[in-house]
This record gives sequence, structure tokens and C-alpha cells, in this order.
Amino acid sequence: MSSAIIETNGLTRSYGDICALKPLDLLVPEGEWLSVMGHSGSGKSTLMNLVGGLDRPTSGTLRVGGEELLALNEDGLARFRREFVGIIFQQHHLVPYLTAVENVMMAQYFHSVPDEAEARHALERVGLGHRLKNRPGELSGGEQQRVCIARAIINSPKLLLGDEPTGNLDNKSTVMVMELLKELRAEERFTVIMVTHNQEVAAWGDRTIHLDDGVLVREDRLKVEGKAG
Amino acid sequence: MNRRRWLIHLVLRALAHRKGRTLLLLAVLAMASSLATALGIVSSSMGNRVAEEVRKYGANLIVIPESARLDIGSGGLNFGVVSEPAYLQQSLVEEALLKSGLKAGVSFHLRGALHMKDADVMVEGVNFSDIRRLFPWWQLRGNWPQVGETVVGNDLASRMKLKVGDMVELAGIANKRELRISGIVTSGGEEDALLFMALPELQQTLGLGGLVTLVRLMVTAGGDTLKTSAAALQMLIPTAKVTEVRQTARTSEGLLAKVKLLMLMVTAVVLVSAGSSVAGTMSTTVLERGKEIGLMKAMGGTRWEVMLIFCGEAAMLGVLGGVAGYLFGSVIAQFITRTVFSASADFIPWFICISLGVSLFLALLGSIGPMISVFRLDPVRSLRGE
Repeated sequence: MSSAIIETNGLTRSYGDICALKPLDLLVPEGEWLSVMGHSGSGKSTLMNLVGGLDRPTSGTLRVGGEELLALNEDGLARFRREFVGIIFQQHHLVPYLTAVENVMMAQYFHSVPDEAEARHALERVGLGHRLKNRPGELSGGEQQRVCIARAIINSPKLLLGDEPTGNLDNKSTVMVMELLKELRAEERFTVIMVTHNQEVAAWGDRTIHLDDGVLVREDRLKVEGKAG
Repeated sequence: MNRRRWLIHLVLRALAHRKGRTLLLLAVLAMASSLATALGIVSSSMGNRVAEEVRKYGANLIVIPESARLDIGSGGLNFGVVSEPAYLQQSLVEEALLKSGLKAGVSFHLRGALHMKDADVMVEGVNFSDIRRLFPWWQLRGNWPQVGETVVGNDLASRMKLKVGDMVELAGIANKRELRISGIVTSGGEEDALLFMALPELQQTLGLGGLVTLVRLMVTAGGDTLKTSAAALQMLIPTAKVTEVRQTARTSEGLLAKVKLLMLMVTAVVLVSAGSSVAGTMSTTVLERGKEIGLMKAMGGTRWEVMLIFCGEAAMLGVLGGVAGYLFGSVIAQFITRTVFSASADFIPWFICISLGVSLFLALLGSIGPMISVFRLDPVRSLRGE
């Protein structure tokens, strides 16, 4: 078995009196596609934010890629995110005044140096070679999500986080996006943590964990022929 | 594309995306910096202009001998004061000027009475080239005199029925002299009642060789410097009285000071208003762009890197506002100088630095509060739109 890229022990996150994540012990091997399921308020987004270095745990330990995230300050966490993590959002969060290629270059800017040729190549990989100069407002939901994917993978992250990445897409676009992610994962060999409500989307993963009220209640190891990689 | 070029590109795109707000901020910054520029240009141009006026209006210091004063009276009765004519040694004044190191145009005058046509007339001995320089507004019918010639004041000429070309005989204590009238001068002042002749000739006629009754000095200075010069000269010539002459230039200086003060106050008010306006607009922008800031942080932008983008926007606005402010300010300065001083303002290229400085200062100062918000924004909460 591969070494663990994510390792949590007694990881909790509270917001005032509300405990969003109760002590969680979790191991995610390198290269695994982990789906995280649960109802609204179950703690799945909280877990994703903690693992992605966007939020800080209240207690416990959280090691990602050998880095103890609790020991990092704000700027240390920012550096961790740029070097290690790519994030795909449900709402896409594209910058409205930048073109598709410029949105990808934005991620390069915070990582190292913007390179238009590389950004174009990333968009061509997600099938948007013909939409390079279009702004988000001129793209469909599926196309916007593919720009978001290109932006997430441009810096070759070790960990790809998806927060309901197909939540706003129709079935056809959902399948296209999931197939794209599967192909990219096969090429780049990154680890995927995908938060979703959708059982079918979760089925694309190697394993699914179910959270309920901040507690890990169930774990399924899935193997769906022809879908999961 | 290197990082700096990308940053500039990003800043320009962000500003272009919010055209209305960008134009509003530019207008505010340009207005504030244009007032500061106009104030500077008016002050500088009119300062030079007033100095020119001081020169144009002639002498600004006069040196006269301390006349011997004698109180006439007995017991409780006082019949007043009589004074006898007093003179200054021309050489003494020249020596004092040399010692003081004062840079000034100098003109020596001797005034005395000569007998002409059965009457006594007041005659002033002068150097005519000094007179032409000191009183450029005097109007002359005829010509300035050569050797053996004189000019007569307009009133005196009317009273004694003198005209250009007449010969007049002037008799003094020591000598008698016949001169031809080469011109009739109108000054609009007491000089219209005088007859003018060359200083050495009058000194000889009156038997007062080397003596003068008045020295006019044209010091190239104003305000406190002129007072200091007067005091320094007074110390060197204790037998004389050195007095500042209040000229029309003083009025201009006073008016300029008032215009400066008014503009300074208006500029201060505008700067405060502009600063508040910039702060308010930038705060709204930051609030609206919360998700964008959250995204930048989520992608790995440090707080400083994200803040740099917003500082870049403020700086870009500051630079553009400063350039526009310089251009508008120059136009405003021209308008003020033409309207108030009937003169044109100088073109002062380096004032663009002042305009840029004011505009940048305001843009960055007004952005401090929003920048703190950018610094503190939590990426998770801002991406959620909280």
C-alpha cells in the first residue's frame, strides 16, 4: 500500500459552541480518490477546508504530505496551498474580468511565473482550446468548471480537492467533468478528495467515507467497473 | 510574461472592469491633486511676478540724511520744529553699500533751489540713465537730455510757460548755468513741479560737491529680506535714515498671500474630502470583491501578495490621477493668474512630482482601511460570500 498523504488524529473543528467536526482519525494513501459524502452540515466541507489548508483545526493533528499544518502560520499555509493543493469549487469562482487563459495564469502567478503557453496547454487538455479568450460570462457551466479544473491542475498539485464540483452541472456535463478528472488523475497521479452529495459521483472514487454531524459513520471501498480508475 | 508585467496587466483589467468606479476615483484624485498643483504654480509664478514688479516699480529702499532738528519754544510754549537742510556724503553711501554686500541698483539725488526768471524753482540733480531705469512709466515729450540740456516737469513748464527748445538760465549760490530744455516730463507725482539736471552740474552750481539729499536703492528682495537689508545699511550709515518704500508691489504680495491662503484652505478641505471619498469607494470595492480575494488566497496567495494587487490598483489610480491633476492644475493656475493678476502662469514641469505625490498619497492613504480588510479576510468565509 502507498504511504499516507493525509493523516489525521483526533482532528476537530469547532465554531464557537458548534462542533463541526468531531475527533476524526483518517488515513488517505497517496494517489487515492476519496469521496466524502454526507448531508448539509455533516462536516464534509469543513474536512476539505482543513485538509486543503484553508482553515485551522481546533485540536488534533493533521499531516498532509508530511507537513504538520497546525505548525504553519498564515503565510506558511498559503505557501502550502500553492505548492501542494489544487481546488475545484462548486461555484467555479472564476475572475469575471479575466479570460479563460488568464484565469489559469492567475494560479501560475501565485505559484511561480505566469506562462501563457502552459496555461493554453492546460485548457486544451480539458477541451477548451477554442475558448481561450472567452470570459467566464461567455462560457457554459460545464465549460467554466473545466476552466476551474485547468486552473486547479496547472501547478501539478499533489492533492486535488473538489467541493461539489458537479453540483451545478447537468448529467451530461457531470459525466464529462468526471471523465476528465479520471483521465487527468491517471496522467498526473494526484490524490483526489471529493466532497459530494451525489452517490453516482462518489462512485467514481476508490473509497467513500460518510460523515454525519461531524462524525465518520461509514466507509465504503468501491470498485465500479468502467468508471473508477 | 514576468510577474511584474502580469501584476500590471491584472491591475489594468480590474480597473477597466469597474469603469464607473475607476472614473469616479480618478476624478476625485485628479481634483485634489490639481488644486495642490494650481496652488503651487500660482505661488511660484506670482512670487516671481511680484519680484519683477518690485523691480518695475523702482526703488524699494531710500536713504536720506537725518536732518538737524531744533525745537523752538520757551517754558510751556512750543512753536514747533525747524530743520535745516542736511546732506549725505555720496562716497560714504557707496562705501556702506560695498561693505554690506547688498546687491542693489543705486541712484543718487540732490535737491535744491535755483533762481530762474525772477523766481526760485526746485531743481533735482540726477543721473538720467538711472531715472529712466527707476521710473519707466514717466512720459516724456521731447528727448532725454544730453550735456548742457535739462528736462522740466509738466506742471513747472505750464506755470512758467516753458517749452522744448527754450533756453533757461539757472543761478545758484556758487555758479550760473544756461541750459536748453530737451523735454517735458509727466510723472503724475510731485516730480512734475521739478526741473531736472545732471547731478554733477547741480552739485557744482550749488557748491555742494560730493553731497546728495537722497539715495534710492532697488534691492532685489522682498518681505523680511528687505527689512534685514535696511537694518544692515542703517547700522553702516548712522547719520542717515534708511526707510522701506511701500510700493504697489506690496499690494500684489498681499493679494498673492490671500489667494495662497484661500487656495491652501480649499485644498485642505478637498484633500480631506477626497481622502474620505477614496476610502469609502475602496471599501465598497473590497467588500464586493470578497470572493475574488478569497479565491486568490485559496490559490496560495499570501496576505501580502493579495494586498499588493490592491495596492497596485490604488497606485495606478494615484499615478493616473496625478498626471490628470497636473494638467488640470496647470489650466486652473492659468485661469487664476489671468483673472486675479492679469498675467500668465509659468509652465513648471517638475510640479508633476507634487501632483503625483498628492494623488498617490491620497490613493494609498484612502486604501489603508480596505487593505487591512484584505489582509484579514478569511478565504473560506469570503468564498462563501459571508
